[in-house]
Amino acid sequence: MFNQRLTLEDLFTVHKFTPNAGQLEAIKSLNGPLFLMAGPGSGKTRVLLWRTVNAIVFQGILPEKIFLSTFTEKASKQLKDGLQTILGSVTNITGVPYDISRMYIGTVHSLCQKIIGDRRFIKERSRVKPPILLDELDQYFYINSSVFWKGIEELLVVNENEWRLDVRQYLTGMSFEFASRHDTTTLLISIFNRFSEENLQTQKIIDYAQNEDEQVLKQIARVYEWYKLKLEKSNMVDFSLLQQRAYTQLLLSDHTAYEFDHIIIDEYQDTNRIQEQLFFRLAKGSKNFCVVGDDDQALYRFRGATVENFVQFPKRTELYLQTKPKEIKLNTNYRSKNQIVSTYKQFMEKVSWIREDGRGYYRLHDKDIQPQQQDNDISVITTKPGNSESVSKEIAEFVKSLIDEKKVEDPNEIAFLFPSLKSNHVKQMKKSLEDEGISVYAPRAGRFLEVKEAKAMFGVISQIMGKPVRQDYAGAYKEYHGWLRDCEEVAKQLMVKDSRLETFVHTKKKELRRCKEDYIRLLKTVNDNDWSTTDAYHPKKHKRVLSNTPLISEQTMSGLGTGRLDKVIEERSKGLRPFTLQYILNRSTSVDWNVLDLFYRLCGFSYFSHMFKKAENGDDEGPISNLSMISEYLSRYMEQSQSMLTGARLIEDRFSNDFFGRYVYGLFRIGESEVENPETPFPKGRVSFLTIHQSKGLEFPYVILGNPGKKNSGVPRPEEIVRPLIDSENEPLSRVSEFDIMRMFYVALSRAEKGLLITNLRGQGQVVAPAFKQLLDEMNYPVASELDVSKLSNSEIKINDIPKVYSYTSDYLMYIKCPRNYMVFKKYGFVPSRSQTMLFGSLVHQTIEDIHNQIISSRSDSNE
Amino acid sequence: MNNNEMFQFIEESFEENYELLRLEGGHSLSPQVKKLALEQVKNYWKKLRHVAENVSDTEVRLTLPQQSTPSGRPYTIQGVVDVVKEDDRTVMYDIKTQDADFVRSNKKDYEGQLNIYAHVWQSVREQELDGTSILATGETQGLRRAKQRSFLTNNDNLLEEALEEWEPEVPIDIADERIEGYLESFGVVVDKIEEHCFEAPSIEKINSKILGNKTFAVHVCRNCDARFSCDTYKEYAFNSSRVSNDFLSFYEDYGTEQERVEQIETTLEEEV
Repeated sequence: MFNQRLTLEDLFTVHKFTPNAGQLEAIKSLNGPLFLMAGPGSGKTRVLLWRTVNAIVFQGILPEKIFLSTFTEKASKQLKDGLQTILGSVTNITGVPYDISRMYIGTVHSLCQKIIGDRRFIKERSRVKPPILLDELDQYFYINSSVFWKGIEELLVVNENEWRLDVRQYLTGMSFEFASRHDTTTLLISIFNRFSEENLQTQKIIDYAQNEDEQVLKQIARVYEWYKLKLEKSNMVDFSLLQQRAYTQLLLSDHTAYEFDHIIIDEYQDTNRIQEQLFFRLAKGSKNFCVVGDDDQALYRFRGATVENFVQFPKRTELYLQTKPKEIKLNTNYRSKNQIVSTYKQFMEKVSWIREDGRGYYRLHDKDIQPQQQDNDISVITTKPGNSESVSKEIAEFVKSLIDEKKVEDPNEIAFLFPSLKSNHVKQMKKSLEDEGISVYAPRAGRFLEVKEAKAMFGVISQIMGKPVRQDYAGAYKEYHGWLRDCEEVAKQLMVKDSRLETFVHTKKKELRRCKEDYIRLLKTVNDNDWSTTDAYHPKKHKRVLSNTPLISEQTMSGLGTGRLDKVIEERSKGLRPFTLQYILNRSTSVDWNVLDLFYRLCGFSYFSHMFKKAENGDDEGPISNLSMISEYLSRYMEQSQSMLTGARLIEDRFSNDFFGRYVYGLFRIGESEVENPETPFPKGRVSFLTIHQSKGLEFPYVILGNPGKKNSGVPRPEEIVRPLIDSENEPLSRVSEFDIMRMFYVALSRAEKGLLITNLRGQGQVVAPAFKQLLDEMNYPVASELDVSKLSNSEIKINDIPKVYSYTSDYLMYIKCPRNYMVFKKYGFVPSRSQTMLFGSLVHQTIEDIHNQIISSRSDSNE
Repeated sequence: MNNNEMFQFIEESFEENYELLRLEGGHSLSPQVKKLALEQVKNYWKKLRHVAENVSDTEVRLTLPQQSTPSGRPYTIQGVVDVVKEDDRTVMYDIKTQDADFVRSNKKDYEGQLNIYAHVWQSVREQELDGTSILATGETQGLRRAKQRSFLTNNDNLLEEALEEWEPEVPIDIADERIEGYLESFGVVVDKIEEHCFEAPSIEKINSKILGNKTFAVHVCRNCDARFSCDTYKEYAFNSSRVSNDFLSFYEDYGTEQERVEQIETTLEEEV
């Protein structure tokens, strides 16, 4: 143990890290704004990690004075693990403890949530009640609800159907005959979010609409304002308003600009305007503002991100911080083979990025990315030009030989990337792989609800709970009923094969029927006696009469209560909120279980329990991941509606109408969205199908680019609407789509480590990006079916850059108690119905910590 | 801060933490389970106020980096404890949401943990330590029964008395010489997790007694929602004549009568 002065270089040695010149410079540059241009695979995570260590250990910066935002929770977890490991080693050498629990590290959203609840950022340091957060799913159901649309009708004095059509046509710039509520809701959500992300004042939009005589825009702005007020009244925010709220709060007091010594933002090319304002506000005091990113990898324009935040960073720091940033390029690529790097570099240059005025570029130029591996190996290949069927077959055979020849350790090291997973080509590709005996993991290929686990589970649930009657609707609702019918079919087959399942389903059905019928009988007794269900319940007056209701079951009878219950009720009736007759009716006619309980029981039948079995030894993680997702959806349902199955909820098919007719239908509709960042690793035993968006920040030994083109649909309408409302310098509207397509494919190409296959998909209706056309013509890449696969490189087990942190309690103890329980709840994140899990423990712990902190701080207050 | 203010503080920060954790992890708790969590925190304050008021360092993060598993994976062990320094005596506390009876009967599982923590604190950081304890805030059978009785009889005193008798603190002995062994078994588990070994315990294990007369199956498995799909648990359950005669009763397990009533009442209460 050396207690002498520890240096950064000593620590590098301890952790076996040898930074290159650019990395080292970045790690050591802590003063003033820093513009870090980090190409693909250039080790930026390590740089962020070590730069933070440098600040904390060698510059004495307190962790709570650091604001570090990442794009995903997974990325911040990785950084936290790394910090804990390195800081822990420092403590063990020098004895100086570090506590990063109060450091601001996480996604922008979670950090905003933290700011809002943190007294540090509140004038007078008083306590605020943090808002309830509506995530995307919540926001959808909120806006898609009947209540909301009734409100719009009243606010604007319009007819819902007519106005929906106006909005749909306005927001898409196309003409339609009809607009469903779902279509309009999703369009409204995206424009509302955009308004919030641009931090636009409603009045500004209204004034503009007035001047331009844009009636629909004016109405939309009014609804937006009304929506915001409505949320504010119930102390709720959606994801986009959360950022606005945090920003507004920061502006209330000058001291907030000095709370952080370092602001570090990862993936800066995908930030939006409100975030930019927030970050510059936080950096105003210290000016130590470091951004990391790569404009070529900008992907999220449709979510309001503006790549200009990054490209124009130097200009903007001059504007906001009155100083120029230091610029550092991280341009050594450690990820990919030589040929892969030169391929994506060439690809980007197939398009002109020169500005319209001829002064400079829309892209940061001269990136000069250098592969660390100066090899001459074959690493980029293609297929014979062909239609979907022939290329799929060729690729499936190729993938099979990659697996057979052990070029990869597990099929999950091969990823298929597509611009969208909705095309027929994706289906064809999946089929061809399955014909070769290769399983595919594609939770977002089409809808989640289309996966077989979801069909089976919802099918069996519908057998028990019933499903809504199909009315005479066309379009999506009809399609949904098609899905429901499929589910039913699957369930029926399962029941034929498993007679116990059949018995179980019938028993549950009978139970529900009993509750329903007894409820109706009791209701009749109530009416016959001229009572009302809202009357206060008095056992002495009501109980005997209710119990004498003819034909009610024993269960209901006992549910009407024991002597104990009567006493509780009498007691309560003296208070402010006596129990009503409705309450006692509900109570006596409810079953002991809810949908999540039902889910876990259904998992016990062989079709589902088999899926657990396959995960227990790591054979196939696909099905269990999907089951976990279903548990999440069911628990969400219980949160937003009554979770109790009572007679009152069962009559007139109320439950099934709400569950299948509203909730699952909603999931079915929004299941069309394909952007979802998978936070779980890719299941073993399967090749993955991902959208290119999902692959952001990831890397795979082998990447198959499934589609060499994407339709350029011209000027994006939301951009067109928003541009006149904001004042800043942007890429020309006419080129936005082209640029975005190039960047998207750049991301796809740069994910590959050992091998990259570009599908040469041709034929009718297939769009091939001009850049790919040229590239394939010029480069003469070897063709998969003619290639000796043994010439390709093997994947390597990567020594984990950043060691994982394991907790004694939540990993070790939980695992030795029961490995299977650990797997279900910790690894795959099933939402428990009754058992206590990690979230339970964290919640209890954190609240107890809050008590301690509260006491410690009041102790020091009283000492002052 | 008086007692009422503290309870209000607890409720507020509980809600706040819940929202934040939900955002970070993307998962939620059912209302029933959430209520139990809040009760634990309140009981902690009622019973262990003296500890809470003397905590000198809260949320002390102890890290043991640069460990290596038997198959060579690097990893870091981490734990969080609270430290109370009082009258020249320093005690390290680890708060657990298990119940104290269980912790007492299964002390050996926790010895490794507190020994590793104490090792980091004493040997690596060279700081004083006089003892370690676990504070088990989980609901013991005694508490649960009292809750049930006070509910049945509408008499809060019963609950107060039970809290009075409740002993959530379980002292753990420290022996530095066993550290190597503890670290080794930790590494073995890390390897198993990384290698996807998640098989359920054997039927012998779940038949073994872990708390008085209670078997693992009763204490652990019956609190696990995933038991219905578990081969070992099925083997155990179908051994009973009730279940083997009527397989439906296997799926009819919704806890004790009391738990069922409570489940209904909590949910109805929230929704009325």
